[in-house]
Order: sequence, then C-alpha cells, then structure tokens
Amino acid sequence: MLWFALAYVFLLAPIVVVVGASFSGADTGGVVISYVQFPPQRWTLEWYARIPAVQYEALALSLVLGVAAALAACAIGIPAAFGLVRGGLAGTPLIAALLRAPLQIPTVVIGIAFMQLYYLMADYSRIDLVGSFAGLLIAHIFLVTPFVTGSVSAVLQRFNVRLEEAAVILGASRWRTFCRVTLPLIMPGVYTGALYAFVVSFIDVPVSLFLAAPGSVTYPVELFHSMEHDFNPSALASATLVTAFSLLLLVGAERLIGLNALLRSGAA
Amino acid sequence: MNTRWSLFLVVPLAVSLVLLVASQSVFLESSLHADLGFGRMAPAWSLHNYIRVLTDDFYLRVLWLTVMVSGIAAVLTIVVGFPIAYVLARMRSRWAGVLMLGILLSTFVTIVIKIFGLIVIFNADGPVNRLLLGAGIVAKPINLIGTPAGVVVGLMYFTIGFAVLLMYAVARTVPRSVEEAAEIHGASRRRVFLRVILPICLPGIAVGFLTVFNMCMGAFTSAALLGGGRVLTLPVLIQRTILFEVKYGMAGTISAILLFSVLLINLFGIFVLRRFRIGRRVVA
Repeated sequence: MLWFALAYVFLLAPIVVVVGASFSGADTGGVVISYVQFPPQRWTLEWYARIPAVQYEALALSLVLGVAAALAACAIGIPAAFGLVRGGLAGTPLIAALLRAPLQIPTVVIGIAFMQLYYLMADYSRIDLVGSFAGLLIAHIFLVTPFVTGSVSAVLQRFNVRLEEAAVILGASRWRTFCRVTLPLIMPGVYTGALYAFVVSFIDVPVSLFLAAPGSVTYPVELFHSMEHDFNPSALASATLVTAFSLLLLVGAERLIGLNALLRSGAA
Repeated sequence: MNTRWSLFLVVPLAVSLVLLVASQSVFLESSLHADLGFGRMAPAWSLHNYIRVLTDDFYLRVLWLTVMVSGIAAVLTIVVGFPIAYVLARMRSRWAGVLMLGILLSTFVTIVIKIFGLIVIFNADGPVNRLLLGAGIVAKPINLIGTPAGVVVGLMYFTIGFAVLLMYAVARTVPRSVEEAAEIHGASRRRVFLRVILPICLPGIAVGFLTVFNMCMGAFTSAALLGGGRVLTLPVLIQRTILFEVKYGMAGTISAILLFSVLLINLFGIFVLRRFRIGRRVVA
C-alpha cells in the first residue's frame, strides 16, 4: 500500500508542481526554469495575464490538428476494423500488422521520414507540403489511425452478432440495422479510439518538430522551444490551463462512455 | 456476406500502405547517399554512411546508450507501474475511479509539461534537494539535468501512464478465485503476489515491457530536455544531424539504424517469449 501511495506521488508530482508554480510571485520566477520556486513564496495570477499570443495560437493549431487527425483516423480506422474483424480474409493477420506498423516505428523516425518525403515532393512536383498544415495533418493521421483501428476492432470482437440478426428478423433493413443496432454498440470503441487519437496528436513533439513551419508550431513544440531558448514563467500558466482542459476532457469522456470503456479498449 | 465486409479494407489499406511506403522508402533511400555538405547529397548509392556509423566509436556509443537508457527506463516503469495497475484492478472502493483518472491525466499531459515540473522539483534549492540536504542524506544538491539518470526519469514519466493502462488490462484477466485459492492454502499476500499473480501476468508484462521499450527508443523530448546536450541518444542525434549539420543522408542512416535496432530487439523479444513458451496467446 505504501508502494502504491509513493507511486502516485511520483506520477503526479510534476503536474502538481507546474500548477502550483504557475501562481508563484514574480520575484522568484526567473527567466530560467530552474529558478522557479515551489511551493510559491508569494501567490499571484500575473503570469496568466502575460501568456503571449503565440502560445494561444499554438494551442489553437494543436486543437484543430488533433480534432482533424482524430476525425480522419475514424474515417480510416472504423471501416478498417470492420474489414479486419468481419472480412474473414486469409491474410488478415498480415493486414492487421501493416495497419499497426506506425506504432512500431520510433516517432522521431516518423517525423524525419515525412519531412524528407515532403522535400522530395516539393522538388519533383508542384505539391509543396513543407511546413504546411496539410503536411502536418497527414503525418499525424499516419501516427494516430492505429489507435482507432485497434479500439474499434476490440469492440467488434466482443460484438454479439445475434443482436443484428434479431433486428433483421424483425424486419429492419440492413442500413437501418447498421444505424440503429451496430453503430450504437460500437460507439464506445469509436469514442475511445478517437480520444486516444486526439491525445496522441495533441501531446506529440517529435513528429511536429520536424514538420511545422517555424512561425506556426503546435503547443508542445512551442513549449519545447520556450524551454530550450527563452523560458518565461507564463509557459507554466498556459500549461496549467492545458492541464485543466485535459482534466475536463477526461471527466467528460468518463461521463459519456464510462471509465471501463476508456480503460478496456484504450491500451490497443 | 463475408466478401462484402472485406471490401471495407480497400481504402484504409491503400491509404495506410501509401503513407507507410512513401514515407519510409524516401528516408531509407536517402540513407544510401553520402552527404556533400550544405544539405546536398552525392548522386550515387553507397554504404558510406552505414560503414561510418557502424565503425565509428562515437555512433556505437550513442546506440548503446540509447538501448541501455531505454532498457533501464522500461524495467523501472514496469516495476513502478505493475503494482499500481494490479491494486487498481482489484480495488472495489469508489476512489478507484478517481485514482484511475489520475493515471489517465498523467497520460494526457504532454511530456514537456511534466519535464517543467521535474526541473522545478529537482533544482538546486527545490523541494527534493532541500529535503535530502536537510536530512543529511546527500552532501551537495543532486542534479538530474545532463545525466543519464535524468533521462531515465524523463522516459519513465513519458511512458508510465501508458504502461499502467496496458498492465491494468493484463491484471484484470487474473480471476480473483485463483488468489483466493492460494490464500486458503495459507499463502501470505506477498507470496500470492510473487508466486501466483506475477507468473500468470508474465506474458502480458513482457509484451508491456517491449511496448514501453519501443516508446523509449523513439522518445526525443525527454532526452533532449533532460540530457541538456550532454546525454546524446539516437533521437537527439538525428535532430542535431538535421538541424546543425544539415546532413540529410546521415540523418536517414541514423534513423534507419534506430528503426532496425527496434525491430531486431522486438523480434528477439518475441523469439525469447515463444522459446520459453510464455505468452503464446498474447504475442501470436
């Protein structure tokens, strides 16, 4: 039990410290992060007022990117899951392995690979994705789609086909059966997969680092640069806001689909 | 009926294959070109970069350090993560939900924010050092930045949320009746954990270890920020080769070596698991 409590302290301490330090008075918060004090000597909200516009812009980009990548991942991953679980093809294990491949590739290699691909395309065609939102989005779709495929496949494997048969026997058309029976039953898997897809895109550094244009980077990359070059304690304030947003997102997801669905198919 | 469902695979598979083959083939091809400087590459294929990396002590040391740091971080992550997952899987109290949200929150927060926190905690007059100095455990403040230990800690924070989620799924598969049987026969809780639970979960733990190890091998942020330029791992070296040296060929080669090392170590891991007849069900 002691081990359990200590493990939790270990796990959550950095997040608690960031939230606490974001309220720390100016005289102790320096321009280098190692001068920031915890616990705060003096409490203040001034860092929240001083969050630079570039961090809000980065945050907006990350949110749009995450949502777009998650939606695209659903458009690719859901049909893929139906094909994998119900298709009955001989090569299913091989196809499943191919669809899972992005999980096996080190993320930094994904970043480099797409960067070089975009440079090559710009050299040999008129399609220039270097530093573009579309380029960033394509690489993120590659990165996150396996999470949707995995969690929807997991739900489909537990699916009771008799429920669909019952609907058909009772006179429902195929389309109606799909919309009214199949879809509602797989939604927990879809929500979970989409949530993980969003989160993996939203917290990614290595892929975005190589693909984003210097002027418009994602939020984690912006934080990364602020830490390497010009640290300002207002980064702690925006990090606290983002952490609060993540917590809200989680509680919302828990209300919507329940904790168990979130845990069961999450580790796809 | 069956053939119709398999048609759903056409588009997803085509998209995935195009993205996979296009992205991976380009960098693998570039890895075969020697760099001429200023971002230009020699037109002909050669193994020049590969020979350089595999014979140069510097690159081999970086590869070895990456594997070591990832391996140690993965072992520690599982050692810390499995007990959490197990207790959570057995917990019946209503606090279980709140504790689970804690794990998920830690997963959902980007590693950069967690590293902010780590640096504040471990700075020279931060809480940890004041405690250790005050208690007389250490003579001078401990420093994580720029040390391999710091990188290991950063990697643990990067992976532990995912690891607990994976281990939780594994721990849930152990029926409570198995534990009760051992307890009825007089085994202590510690003994039940070590002799019953752990062996049953071993295949799942092994797969979890490989997953965490893979994440660590590709992790760039922890090593870049906590390594402080003094601890070089392959992902950091790749970024520097591009950013400071502008050698795309060499960066491709190092990426290829990283990718092949990860794949080889995974194949070896799966081979060992099969060989000892553990985890057939999970790995297959």
